[in-house]
Amino acid sequence: MNPQSLLPSVPEFLAILPEISLVILIVAVLAYDRILKPAERRRVGLLAAWGSIVILLITVGLWVLFREPEPNRSLVESLMWGGMIRNDLITLIFRVMFLVAVAIVSLISLDVPALQRGEYFALLLSATIGFSLMAAGSDMIMLFLAIETASISLYILTGFLTDDRRSTEAGIKYFVYGAFASAIMLYGLSLVYGITAQTNIYVIASLVAQSGAIPPEINGLFLLATVMIVAGFGFKISAVPFHFWTPDAYEGAPAPVTAFVSTASKAAGFAVTIRVFAAGALGAPNFDSEWWAMLVAITIVTMTLGNILAIFQSNIKRMLAYSSIAQAGYTLIGLVALTPDGSGAAMFYLLMYVFTNVAAFGVVVLVSRETGSDDMQDFYGLSRRAPYLALAMLFALLSLGGIPPTAGFIGKFFIFKAAVDAGLWWLALIGVLNAFIGLYYYLSVVKYMYLYRSDDEEERIPVSRAASVALALSVLGIIYLGIAAGPAFEWTRQAGAAFFPFSG
Amino acid sequence: MLADWQFIGIFLALSPIFPAAPVIANWLLGPRKPNPLKQQTYECGVETVGDTWIQFKVQYYIYALVFVVFDVEAVFLFPIAAAYDQLGLFAAFEVVVFVLILAVGLGYAWSRGALEWT
Amino acid sequence: MLTFMTFFPLIGVALILLLKPFNRESDELIKRIATGTSIVTFILSLVVLGMYNRADPGLQLVGRAVWIDVLNIQYYMAVDGLSILMVLLTTLISMLATAGSWTGIEHQVKQYFVFMLLLEAGMLGVFLAQDLFLFYIFWEFTLVPMYFLIGIWGGARRVYASIKFFLYTMAGSLLMLLAILYMGLSNDTFAVPELVAGRSAFAAAQNWLFLGFAIAFAIKVPLFPFHSWLPDAHTEAPTAGSIILAGVLLKMGTYGFMRFNLPLFPEASVTFAPTIAVLAIIGIIYGAIVSFAQTDVKRLVAYSSVSHLGFVMLGIFSLNNLGLQGAILQGVNHGLSTGALFYLVGVIYEKRHTREMSDFGGIWRAMPIFSALTLIITLSSMGLPGLNGFVGEFTILMGSMGSEALGPYPWIYTAFATSGVILAAIYLLWMFQRVFMGPLDNPENQALRDVNWGQLAIILSFLVFIVWIGIAPSGYFALMDETVAALVRSIGSAVVAMP
Repeated sequence: MNPQSLLPSVPEFLAILPEISLVILIVAVLAYDRILKPAERRRVGLLAAWGSIVILLITVGLWVLFREPEPNRSLVESLMWGGMIRNDLITLIFRVMFLVAVAIVSLISLDVPALQRGEYFALLLSATIGFSLMAAGSDMIMLFLAIETASISLYILTGFLTDDRRSTEAGIKYFVYGAFASAIMLYGLSLVYGITAQTNIYVIASLVAQSGAIPPEINGLFLLATVMIVAGFGFKISAVPFHFWTPDAYEGAPAPVTAFVSTASKAAGFAVTIRVFAAGALGAPNFDSEWWAMLVAITIVTMTLGNILAIFQSNIKRMLAYSSIAQAGYTLIGLVALTPDGSGAAMFYLLMYVFTNVAAFGVVVLVSRETGSDDMQDFYGLSRRAPYLALAMLFALLSLGGIPPTAGFIGKFFIFKAAVDAGLWWLALIGVLNAFIGLYYYLSVVKYMYLYRSDDEEERIPVSRAASVALALSVLGIIYLGIAAGPAFEWTRQAGAAFFPFSG
Repeated sequence: MLADWQFIGIFLALSPIFPAAPVIANWLLGPRKPNPLKQQTYECGVETVGDTWIQFKVQYYIYALVFVVFDVEAVFLFPIAAAYDQLGLFAAFEVVVFVLILAVGLGYAWSRGALEWT
Repeated sequence: MLTFMTFFPLIGVALILLLKPFNRESDELIKRIATGTSIVTFILSLVVLGMYNRADPGLQLVGRAVWIDVLNIQYYMAVDGLSILMVLLTTLISMLATAGSWTGIEHQVKQYFVFMLLLEAGMLGVFLAQDLFLFYIFWEFTLVPMYFLIGIWGGARRVYASIKFFLYTMAGSLLMLLAILYMGLSNDTFAVPELVAGRSAFAAAQNWLFLGFAIAFAIKVPLFPFHSWLPDAHTEAPTAGSIILAGVLLKMGTYGFMRFNLPLFPEASVTFAPTIAVLAIIGIIYGAIVSFAQTDVKRLVAYSSVSHLGFVMLGIFSLNNLGLQGAILQGVNHGLSTGALFYLVGVIYEKRHTREMSDFGGIWRAMPIFSALTLIITLSSMGLPGLNGFVGEFTILMGSMGSEALGPYPWIYTAFATSGVILAAIYLLWMFQRVFMGPLDNPENQALRDVNWGQLAIILSFLVFIVWIGIAPSGYFALMDETVAALVRSIGSAVVAMP
């Protein structure tokens, strides 16, 4: 063995610089937590938030200043660390999403007393590492390890409030479902390995593309593996019928964690899903493959069921949970269009969804801390109790509902456009009808906030500076992406092309 | 094709015999002379007092978790130590980083009082 | 210029929001800023009128920039004969409505005027946008302020009415969005003139696309049977909300038909013309008959809108010069007359807090000036010659009479539509009689004071235009002549080329 080969090249080092920085940040957060006096606990959160903003700047700075990851690299060049990860635009954009999410979530958790602990922020960051590697991973082993890194952190975070029965229950439930889904997915991955004797998804994809690589008699086995992998991925993105954990976990988890799970974790799930399927690791990405039909069915059911169930919720977190299921459905439309544009649109949608949902949950955090529950009734007359909170929530809801001039509208527009472009106008039609159902329940929260009155209107809701900065950032993101979507979409579209290394 | 699988079939058929054989042999060969002393939970040792379903002190679990730090350390250090000559300086540096990370974990647990037994 | 005018109300919004940091916030000041802003916007629109060249049928004062270049989405604003009157109507009505809410709004004054100004900007954008994507954004954007105007400051059933308004409109516009997507993709542009030129790319699907647009606009107009949101929204909205709703928002629907449906899908327009004309006539007669049954004055005016908008739709789908010109002018007329009627209802509601006809009677004796003005406006609404309503309705009826698009016997449509005029005369006069005539026997009504100077000024502003259009409509027709003629020619040539 040549010792020189162990030395990483500069691009290889830069490819995992964000993860390295995150590890350092975790160590710093834990150490800082031990130094601080109990009265100064919120500074841990500040460190985590600022640290992740710095890492975000490093990541974006690498791109702006050095064009790293270089978009014109060939597939082989972009595969790094022995093919474990692929450093491309996709990775970059998803990293930006995760870092934005973790920064804003840290800011909104700062002033929640029960969460002012080093472990909490360390776990948020370690989950971020997991997400980041999920987005980058191009090898089944890497993917599985990344998914587990992220998931285990999230299980603990979900059950973080050990004194709260609902939080504990949510944590256990999430853990049990999650472990089950992971096991099934792992079985699927191992079957694929058994069939192809490869772990790198791009190698597998090029194998599968050769005719006769998979003997017809084990086609069924390959399909079984696909189904199992879909189940695992579907769990991460909470697609129907793998969504059962979602409402319970979202409801029980501390609200900032829910914000994190519903945005970053979902985005990471999509990163993996789109990467694996678009690469063609489980069969060529075209409308004839079996998994395509399966995903389309999942897409339709996910949108529809999520939306319909959301209508009946009286708990704001549960409502947002079902809404996030529905939103996953819209995002899937981008994937099943099977075009670079579609995947790019899905990425744009996730990007805007990070800002939107974090804003929505940020408001929920602040309101429920004051009222002590997550009931919709807490939102009655919110526009009078806390006009700026209500305004932030309004923007988030309009964006979720897809009303211009918010980012949500542009996101849906791109998604539906990609679908129509791919000839799936009927899927776009279903999406549009669903968007209409969705409007109804988003609008009813607006109704509660602005049109209803409550008895507590005199009680102001205190908003700390950190939280207002966080909300302001996310609302600015919503508006910016809504009005000047061009550059961001151009960016995600370029990245979308990287999902399909073998076509064209 | 089927021939490839016959080993597995044989393995499946034979594998239950191994755990079952000692139990059966014991049952066949062992002398049976029961007396009250033998019926006790512990043939030697102290009679249990009260309910046996008691909670363990939570420190046991924390000890177990902290042990994992050393466990993982050992598992990874052995192969690196064995191949040290071929790996060079960079690998040594990586190992230091690895050990440092584990050390931070241990230090954190220590400072949180995980190693105190009270 | 157009951009500056469209976004000028936002400057007012910014000013209002900046008051608080400078500790100068007071309801009085907010009202002044809002009214001032809308007056300046109106003046700006007059400047636009001055710059407008009536001899040019095409788009003028173009402001154009690439917005999202990946999809070739442009920021594209321009004005032509179809929209110039709508722009003027918007700024005028917004100005009067803002000024008219000076007294009626008691709580959350800041939010109210912010929403009014946002709404004005949105409406101007709708009439000026020449890129479908931009148009859609403005179109949707108008919903939000209106939703709040109805929902927060509306009547007893405001929550129900506002949600119904929002969901109805949204249902239509989402289908429109799909149609927009389809067309945008087929030509790789969303700019309307380019789409009209590249029509052949989506001509095969044009019946479906036509319907996608038509349903969105028909809900907005509202065309029978999509009208059921309208009485609720109109009745529950605050006075200024009703004025804007009737005056401008409904015109967005009719404008949409003229701007998009006719030039983009001429063959489909001809195909669907008889159907829509029949629906329009059902609307005319249905609206009139239901108006009879109303006991609430505001609801009566609301249903009369259904009837009046039926005329506008009939005019549009006569697909000839007279019909289209009449439709545009009648749109303006309806905005003025019905807007004024809603304002009058609002004035009296502020004094008496009821709108039931049975609570009134003999108001003339208590408020002679108010009643006289109401009479003129009522007469204009029912189409008395010499006032604006007559000009519009007469032109439309002439247009439908000579329409080739409506089949071999277009006079049948005309005949039924004419009956709507008669019915309008009956229910409006009946309303007038019950409210203003008769003995003044209710003691509460005896205490009524006549209008003050501010209210008088607003009513007179409406009246100036009502009479002006009635006596000298030619100046107004001249503004749109060329564009409408060009539009009719293009439809004609497309239909002739139809296989």
